[in-house]
Amino acid sequence: MSEFYPFGGRAGLRSTFSLGMSFVLVFAIVPAVAVVVISFTDIRGLPYIPINWVGIENYLTFFSGAKLGYNLHALQNTLVFAFSVTIFQNLIALLIAVVLSTKLRGRTFYRAVVFMPTVLGVTVIGLIWSLIFNPSAGPGASIWSWFGANSAFFGDQHIALALVIFVQVWAGLGLAVVIFLAGIQAIPEELYECASIDGAGASKKLRHITVPLLAPSFTANVLLCIVGSLQSYQLAYVLTGPNNPATQLLSLAVFTQAFGGGTSSGSSQSQGYAAAISMVQFVIVGIISIAVLVYLRRQESKT
Amino acid sequence: MTTLTSGKRVDSAEAPPRPERGRRRRRRLFTPGKVVSYLFVLLIMVMYLFPLGFLINTALKSTTEFYKDPVGLTKSFQFGNFAQAWQKGHFGAYFMNSVMYTSVAATLNTVVSLVVGFPVSRGYVRHRKLWYGIFVAMLFLPNALMTQFQLVLRLNLYDTALGYILIMASGLGVGPLLLVGYLKSVPKEMDEAAALDGIGYWRFMFTFLPPLIKPVLATIFILQAIGVWNDIILATILLPDPAKSPITLGLFAFQGTYTSQWGLLAAATMIVAAPLVVAYVFLQKFLVGGVAGSVKG
Repeated sequence: MSEFYPFGGRAGLRSTFSLGMSFVLVFAIVPAVAVVVISFTDIRGLPYIPINWVGIENYLTFFSGAKLGYNLHALQNTLVFAFSVTIFQNLIALLIAVVLSTKLRGRTFYRAVVFMPTVLGVTVIGLIWSLIFNPSAGPGASIWSWFGANSAFFGDQHIALALVIFVQVWAGLGLAVVIFLAGIQAIPEELYECASIDGAGASKKLRHITVPLLAPSFTANVLLCIVGSLQSYQLAYVLTGPNNPATQLLSLAVFTQAFGGGTSSGSSQSQGYAAAISMVQFVIVGIISIAVLVYLRRQESKT
Repeated sequence: MTTLTSGKRVDSAEAPPRPERGRRRRRRLFTPGKVVSYLFVLLIMVMYLFPLGFLINTALKSTTEFYKDPVGLTKSFQFGNFAQAWQKGHFGAYFMNSVMYTSVAATLNTVVSLVVGFPVSRGYVRHRKLWYGIFVAMLFLPNALMTQFQLVLRLNLYDTALGYILIMASGLGVGPLLLVGYLKSVPKEMDEAAALDGIGYWRFMFTFLPPLIKPVLATIFILQAIGVWNDIILATILLPDPAKSPITLGLFAFQGTYTSQWGLLAAATMIVAAPLVVAYVFLQKFLVGGVAGSVKG
């Protein structure tokens, strides 16, 4: 039920609210829901081509012998990518946040530096790291040569995914640090004082106060990170291109299938099939994030 | 607290050093824990600042110098790289495109967040819980690139700035949620007092409310502006005409053309990054606070 409405006429309310919501509905919600619908069609990237209803054919194609290997590989990459990013990003961010929550000189500066990639965006980040890991000459190549090795880095299919994971963690760390820091600052100071009186050292305070009371921030961070990284492909796209099998992620496969990856092509691709991949991915993201959420909530109530 | 007291009293390594009187201040500054913390922070700073420093250094090198000695400090200071990159990459035009897309889309986005967030937070519309649930659910929508492309195509807005801006502005993200959270701190009596003075809903929302909630509106605008400015995927899909490219796409194309001319590429990257870094220096506090608030809310 609506609450007491002090302004006289409701015309202003009705018009602005419905205008705002219909805008979001048309350009964001309907397209998202329509993905389900077009995944049952053979819609293409060109207008004026008849659209046929094909039933579950796109899904059968996804699991068919010809495509299954490729798709399972993309799925495996996605899971490796998402779980590695989530684990490394949160552990390192927790460590940084704990260190920055102590009274260090210049800690706001350190926080600002770590947060900066959030603003830089994937293109700039991608170029910076392509420069550092460029195979012919650069700091990456120098470090590798100390061990008498050389590498094609993003072109090497054995380490390309690991490097993309590294860059993703580098780029996403700042956000996680800020969330952890906010959580740490919300812990009452008295708890630490009590612990000091009881004779607890820094490591005990960390284990028995900071970590358990940070559980809600931890849940938020892990969930944000896992949902984000299961769907993220922009860095892989910028660093290794749209068609590199070593870094083929499900979400990148959606993009390449629908738009061909190049800036010019994209007309003849079956976007229905791309929508089917997108739906499979959506279901996987949903299952994993609900499982993670339930697990973390249970851990929270235990401590 | 029982777990703390029941354990061993103090680990000898963790015990605060008990300094002699005269040396007290110095010893407090350099406990082993502090040293480890500073070393750790130093390592992290190197991880973050070295890439930027290396980018600047490379931007000042000629291509031959880079390949001869990629890691050493520049000796020739090729400031010409910047002029050359600016000219060859048409960054002036791309920059103006990006400014236009970003300002219009972020403004539209902020206004929409306001008009849908305000009545929901106040309960002026029915089913406020349901609307709030929709705002949350919008964060978890599936990847809708194909359908957004089809929609824009069928509206005859393909390859137009308008189509791109509408799609970019419609992703509200955390905007309405931030607004609902912040409006809890603005008492509803404000609305009632204004209404008693004969101010209508429309005028209240657009002229009286914004000054009261400036911080949250700024945060929403900035978060959205970052998203639009850095977008590359939707721009690739919806704006095939290079003349309409935003600056990110311009940089990406530039990278494709001048693949191994690292001096030039680094200079171009710096041209694109510089406005972001400058804006970040000024807006940093706002942004970090806003992000932390959005998670709590």
